[in-house]
Amino acid sequence: MTADAFLFWFLAIVTLVSGLSVILLANPIYSALCLAMTMVGVSALFVTLNAYFIAGVQLIVYAGAVMVLFVMVIMLFDLKKDLQAFTRGILSGALKIASVGLLAGLVVGAIAISTGLLAEKTTDNPVTMGTGMESTKALGNILFSKYIFGFEALGVLLLVIAVGAVALARSKGGTHEQ
Amino acid sequence: MRAVKVEHMNNDIINNIGLNHYLILAALLFVTGMAGVLLRRNIIVLLMSIELMLNSVNLTFVAFSKYLGILDGHIMVFFVMTIAAAEAAVGLALAVSIFKRFNEVNIRFFEHLKG
Repeated sequence: MTADAFLFWFLAIVTLVSGLSVILLANPIYSALCLAMTMVGVSALFVTLNAYFIAGVQLIVYAGAVMVLFVMVIMLFDLKKDLQAFTRGILSGALKIASVGLLAGLVVGAIAISTGLLAEKTTDNPVTMGTGMESTKALGNILFSKYIFGFEALGVLLLVIAVGAVALARSKGGTHEQ
Repeated sequence: MRAVKVEHMNNDIINNIGLNHYLILAALLFVTGMAGVLLRRNIIVLLMSIELMLNSVNLTFVAFSKYLGILDGHIMVFFVMTIAAAEAAVGLALAVSIFKRFNEVNIRFFEHLKG
């Protein structure tokens, strides 16, 4: 087995197992830790896809900022009551699992069938094959030229979200009194 | 003869990592997140599952970007990451305001939200 293949399978197993633990562990703090592990795994997968800058951003934004947000909110709460907060009812649970399995089967089947339809890696673009600096430079170039409108719109969105989150968190418990 | 061929094909699947491997991995991650959204009742774990789904979509974007040789997928990943961080912030603020009132963060209390 080559080093590339070994790396992929290792990362795939780590990511899937920690992703499953996120939804199966009863204690939310363990779920948060497993989610951080998943984020690190996905970031490493980005590295295997030559997306070095995205991998760094993934580590900083997800494994750093978003996880700190989650863990801080979990620590604010006293979560003794709903440690076992799974869905109730065997029938609805079985139905949900069946629908999820159906979706998985459909997607994987579609990918397997469409194997021949996808063009066999037509371009070895030097931009995406490069050692890091080239792709990051090209990324900046199109982010600030082709996608400049989306970039600015995201800036406005982040401002609105920051104000909205503070306003929501300041409101006195619940929202329908006063 | 046939066994040798099957063996060869299996080796091919294990050794030649291509677009399909990444797509199937992303699909499985997405399905995991969807199962979390459907099965859990704790709003924080629900938000985590949504993050999981968004991450799997990012993985799909980057895989296609690599195999088509275009960088536009990376830009989409940026946008998705920003939206995901914003969504987590608002969702957790809602969870805090629910917890202040009901001392529990079960999803069933969200029907009491108004205006």
